[in-house]
Amino acid sequence: MNTAGKAILAAGVAGAAAMARRRARGSAAAGEEASDRWLTVTVYRAPEEVQPLPDELARWREEIEIRVQPAAGDKGTELMVRPIGEVSRHELRLALRRAKSVLEAGEVVKPDTAPTHPGPMGKALRLVTNRAGGGGRL
Amino acid sequence: MKALCWEGINDVRVQDVPDPQLLNDQDMIVKVRLSTVCGSDLHLLTGHIPFMQAGDVIGHEFMGEVVEVGPGVTKHRPGDRVVVCSFIACGRCYYCKNELYSLCDNTNTNPAITQKLWGADPGGIFGYSHAMGGFRGSHAEYVRVPFADHTAIRIPEAVDDMSAVFASDSAPTGWMGADLGGVKPGDVVAVWGSGAVGQMAARAAQLLGAERVIVIDRFDYRLRQAELAFGVETINYADTSVGETLLEATGGRGPDVCIEAVGCEAHSTGPQYAYDQVKSKLKLEMDRPIAVREAIYNCRKGGSVFVLGVFTGLVDKFPLGAMMNKGLTVRGAQQHGQRYIPMLLDRIASGELVTSHLATHVMPLSEGARGYELFKKKEDDCLRSVFTL
Repeated sequence: MNTAGKAILAAGVAGAAAMARRRARGSAAAGEEASDRWLTVTVYRAPEEVQPLPDELARWREEIEIRVQPAAGDKGTELMVRPIGEVSRHELRLALRRAKSVLEAGEVVKPDTAPTHPGPMGKALRLVTNRAGGGGRL
Repeated sequence: MKALCWEGINDVRVQDVPDPQLLNDQDMIVKVRLSTVCGSDLHLLTGHIPFMQAGDVIGHEFMGEVVEVGPGVTKHRPGDRVVVCSFIACGRCYYCKNELYSLCDNTNTNPAITQKLWGADPGGIFGYSHAMGGFRGSHAEYVRVPFADHTAIRIPEAVDDMSAVFASDSAPTGWMGADLGGVKPGDVVAVWGSGAVGQMAARAAQLLGAERVIVIDRFDYRLRQAELAFGVETINYADTSVGETLLEATGGRGPDVCIEAVGCEAHSTGPQYAYDQVKSKLKLEMDRPIAVREAIYNCRKGGSVFVLGVFTGLVDKFPLGAMMNKGLTVRGAQQHGQRYIPMLLDRIASGELVTSHLATHVMPLSEGARGYELFKKKEDDCLRSVFTL
């Protein structure tokens, strides 16, 4: 990769990291509010089809508070959880997304095999993608 | 197996990579026969989309033969000839059930990246960066196709391979622009971009009843091809005023529907282009929305603008005032291919929709780097390079 390429990739990854840091600071500032908020997905299934919860979520049963309610406008069922034990919000986001995929599509799509020689910038990007399943805006 | 890999900015090479495996029950493996370059690949090559790793297999528009299916696949079996939609769709989430397949909730394996950039994650796509799932692309001998029942469509016998490959992305993307742009019988439709997607949008507008279709580009060879293939009117913006020509062609109203098929690295003439070039080089603007600005400015009052070109982030000088005060409907989307591909294959079979002329340069995958060079530099009147495997 040429120098300009490395610079652009570095800027992209650095930008994503900076965004993550800003958001982390914002979350810290929000303090109690952030940790009390429900993490939520809408499953495109009727409420009775969401129970029993898939293993992806049921395994945390003792560590979380759960709410299940119909979504507005026949959009399915809202599945809401928040931690009351040791489970992290990162782990819960991952579990919620996987549970939704199992309930809707029958399985969780696995990522393809990663390239064998990602290079320094690719390795930096992997630091982002390795955590991307449990990050984001739930 | 052999595959064309992104190795860095403006550096693609054929490499040996491991064969794909069935990883999920609903996966299948397709032996690729044809795989075409796409204008949106150029954003990967130029580094405009910075979520690539060296060794990533690129390509997302393809057709081939099924060679292996997982136990959860019910619609396909080995030996089937299929076209594969560039967007992977689970077929059962809210968005898939409402035929908004590119917004599938269950196919992007890295949702946090686009959720932070755009507020929500679209579905996964083959060979289009780790922000869009990190799936391996189609410029390869074999491809793993997740959710195969919903992502691949069997090709009717009457449709040849070269016609079918463009039903993977170009044809459904173009059709979607005309369909969701709301083209009605009697409309005047303007299309920015005379590449494969622009030409398909123009033809879709005709088939949906448009009375006049006008295609805008800067390359005469592309405009000539659109004229010859579909009998559309054309404007070369390098030597003709687009606004004045469109007003003259529409009795001073402006086009009813404007379809943008250019994307985030648009070209233009004059100071506007220089302004966008400088801002994007300085990273003060992520995309160059020149064709979008023109479409909004020139659309008739109360008309519709559909954005088909790929954009990545923030743009500058967006004409919000024109959009609001002229009462426009502005809409965009990545392609909801599964909604259109079966219908398009039928139209190709009947001769109503011609696509194979888009393949101006057909070559083996081993010449993949040359194919992208021709395509990127618009050399030898290249519209699309198509790789054979």
